[in-house]
Amino acid sequence: MTEEHGINQLKRRDFLRAGLVFGAGAAGLAAGYAAVPDAFARAVYAAKEQGITNDKILVMVQLAGGNDGLRTVVPLQDPKLHDYRPRLAAPSVAQALALSSDFGLNQNLAGVKKLYDQGRVAIVQGVGYPNPVFSHFESIRIWETGDPTRRSINGWLGQLAAKQYDTLGHPLTGCACGATDVPGALRDLQATMTVIQDPKNFGFTGGDPVESAVTALYKDTPGIYGALFDTAIATAKDTIATLKTASTKYQPMATYSDKAKLVYSSKNQLASALQLAAELIVSGTGVKLLHVTLGGFDTHYTELNRHDDLMGYFDQAVSAFFEDLDAHGMAGNVLLATWSEFGRRPKENASGGTDHGAASPVLLIGNPVQGGLYGGAPNLSDLDATGNLKYNVDFRSVYQEILASHLGADAKDVLGATFDRVPFIKSAVGVS
Amino acid sequence: MPWMAIESDARKLPTARRAGGAVTRRAVLGAAIAGGAGVAAARLLGLNPAAGTAPALGKRVSGGTDWISPLGNENARVMQLLRRATFGATPAELDKALSDGYQKTVDRLIETPAAKAPVFPGGDAASRGAPLKVVQLQKWWLDHMLSTPTPFAERMTMFWHGHFTSDYRKVGLQDPFVYWQNLTWRDNALGDFRSFLYQVTIDPGMLRYLDLGTSTGQAPNENYARELMELFTMGAGNFAEDDVRAAARALAGWREPRTAAMVMDAKQGNATPDTSKVGIFVPNRAYQGGPVTFLGKTGKFDTKAVLAQIVAQKATAPYVVQRVLINFALPNPPAATVSRLAAGFVKSGWSIRQLMHDVFLSDEFKAASSYRSLVKQPVELMVHALRALGARDQSAIALRAASGMGQNLFDPPDVGGWPLNESWISSNTVLARVNFATSLIAAVKSLPPATDAHVHNLDGVLSPATASLLNAASTDLDRWVLVLASPEFQLK
Repeated sequence: MTEEHGINQLKRRDFLRAGLVFGAGAAGLAAGYAAVPDAFARAVYAAKEQGITNDKILVMVQLAGGNDGLRTVVPLQDPKLHDYRPRLAAPSVAQALALSSDFGLNQNLAGVKKLYDQGRVAIVQGVGYPNPVFSHFESIRIWETGDPTRRSINGWLGQLAAKQYDTLGHPLTGCACGATDVPGALRDLQATMTVIQDPKNFGFTGGDPVESAVTALYKDTPGIYGALFDTAIATAKDTIATLKTASTKYQPMATYSDKAKLVYSSKNQLASALQLAAELIVSGTGVKLLHVTLGGFDTHYTELNRHDDLMGYFDQAVSAFFEDLDAHGMAGNVLLATWSEFGRRPKENASGGTDHGAASPVLLIGNPVQGGLYGGAPNLSDLDATGNLKYNVDFRSVYQEILASHLGADAKDVLGATFDRVPFIKSAVGVS
Repeated sequence: MPWMAIESDARKLPTARRAGGAVTRRAVLGAAIAGGAGVAAARLLGLNPAAGTAPALGKRVSGGTDWISPLGNENARVMQLLRRATFGATPAELDKALSDGYQKTVDRLIETPAAKAPVFPGGDAASRGAPLKVVQLQKWWLDHMLSTPTPFAERMTMFWHGHFTSDYRKVGLQDPFVYWQNLTWRDNALGDFRSFLYQVTIDPGMLRYLDLGTSTGQAPNENYARELMELFTMGAGNFAEDDVRAAARALAGWREPRTAAMVMDAKQGNATPDTSKVGIFVPNRAYQGGPVTFLGKTGKFDTKAVLAQIVAQKATAPYVVQRVLINFALPNPPAATVSRLAAGFVKSGWSIRQLMHDVFLSDEFKAASSYRSLVKQPVELMVHALRALGARDQSAIALRAASGMGQNLFDPPDVGGWPLNESWISSNTVLARVNFATSLIAAVKSLPPATDAHVHNLDGVLSPATASLLNAASTDLDRWVLVLASPEFQLK
């Protein structure tokens, strides 16, 4: 088959054709978030190849739905919390795992607390952006693109891959684990990102003959989706080959369990997604950017148990991930960072839940981290006009530190400006 | 350079008629592209497309950026309509539609009342001890899509399932609400949008999914109020945070109805079950304060007044029309198209039936730029495949394949409903689509002849890659795999 090297040899025409999709997507974007394209496609490799030659890896964990920061990093001394939350405050304050006299972690984050005590967890409090938006989809888009003006289409990590990594022949530079679609943070027309829901099912039914036929079938496909389809199959094919090699080099050395009866969201396979992330890291696939999602954080009702369950589940999966990396001696270069579209309203509602809010904390976990509390504590006595927490740290400052200090990337190239450092990376790459 | 121009050939076929004068599917379409015979000839000749021999399916071309639209041909328009409005067609349905022609087929789809879904066994009596089984429920709906005499009604029900969305995870399976919602959406799918919106608001599944059923005027839950405006009617940017708060107050006061089984489950043996299958308004849970200002109007608002005020907004009809167009006609509808159709929608008294009629008869629907401009949702893809193969008994394969493609019925990824078009395309999903085709073909015991499969299912408009692989394929099995796994089949 002439497709042997096909994935690496997209022609200029393919690129232009991909441009058609891009055009449709841009207009679609104006029409509403749901129309945003998964516009990822392998592009021609231009001269702008500045490969970042280090072994740093980033794992983004999306807490989808809007994570309640006040039940994640709990203010222990603030009486206002009890005024705003007659049902939700007392149990979490009483059981919190103290980090200081003022703050504690949710009681189900025992594994994270252990990592914190080892100096491997940085918590940036009060992260948000100006003029908070309370729509899930709009705010997700802001976090994904790194653009509060909502003009950008490309994801911040997609842009990073397109502009600074050499993805040529490396479809696994970026991977969404445990998903079926490309997360917005990884989207970029000029970057190839793979998506693997379940590595066990990631292969062609019918084996090699089907693979050859399908590879030939998805070649020079016309139409506005042509390049996307062709790229999807070419990426799948290369990913299958990589996974074959990878799985022989990896045995999990921790127990990952998705048995938690977590039915609040279909995106509830966090442990197996992180296990796949560990497999890709441990087996040396060259992966740099990973994305996993845990859903169910839109706790408008009976939040007490639901949020505690989610915290516990997050804790188990993340603990297993680091235990596994430690056992493989591969934790040194891996940074895990959480993100969520917004926090939740300080005041609870009639349903025993909380509505959409604004600022909330970001957790950064891993050996590269200088542990501790960063940012500013949320002030419950100084809420904004919508009754929400004001932000102290722009989320792009967190991105800045991840990009520049951890990955050694050109952050301005991705974010469009330079933001203040939040110095949670211990020995910043290229910063002396 | 054209890809596969069926138009010019089609015009050469004045004689393909049945005894009764009706045009037959086989005659028109088969001959339309000189396809069936050509393919057979190619096979007999043992043409090897890899060697560069021109395939019999069409002109060999080496470049190009778009499909050549066959929509100048009425038969191609009919086939596009059936793809988009009815999950493809069985051979019998295709025959009938081709014989009726486009206009008559549109009228028939639009005017035929929706066939009732069969009763889901145990649905009404769902309880903690006997919960709904979600896989059975998914199969129930999929089987109905496969066998209903009114597939357009199912396609519309599915559209609303993605628009006014709910998922079984939050609504739960220990009561009939998820099942009832499906029945209610079907009953309203082609009705008056305004009364549908009221039914949505007081639907028990929706009361739970977006929490209106536990909200009170005193401590309102904003979930429904926000998504009602952002996702169901107006779109982001057309209302303010204060409107969300005002609506949340004004809408509060509903509770879910309780079936006999639910009363038993709650160990409230002395409580009376509700006979109602919709929400029940409890005045003392409602907002008791003074006038509220909502979308520019100050006064007393109850639920109906809130909905009326939303419907009165300029943004509402265009937003709904745009959602319809992105699902049924164009991925990126021009503003002029949206406002024209929106004006007709409002003028018709918000008749969804009239809107769909206008969409299907619009110039934009049959324009060349509309051709293959939409990506089939996984369920559309699977139902189309099963109907084309006459394999209605294979819904279990579709149910297993759905997850990898990203579409489990009753379980959309979030409150935004199902993804659209480009968002269905990733390495994982396209692989899963191809694997579905392979597994399905392997499972079907007696395949129909594949000779015309590319004509009936792909309009005979093929990429060079698809054409040459089909030419090279020597068995019905291989040809069906190629047709169903092809990029052409993913589009509508």
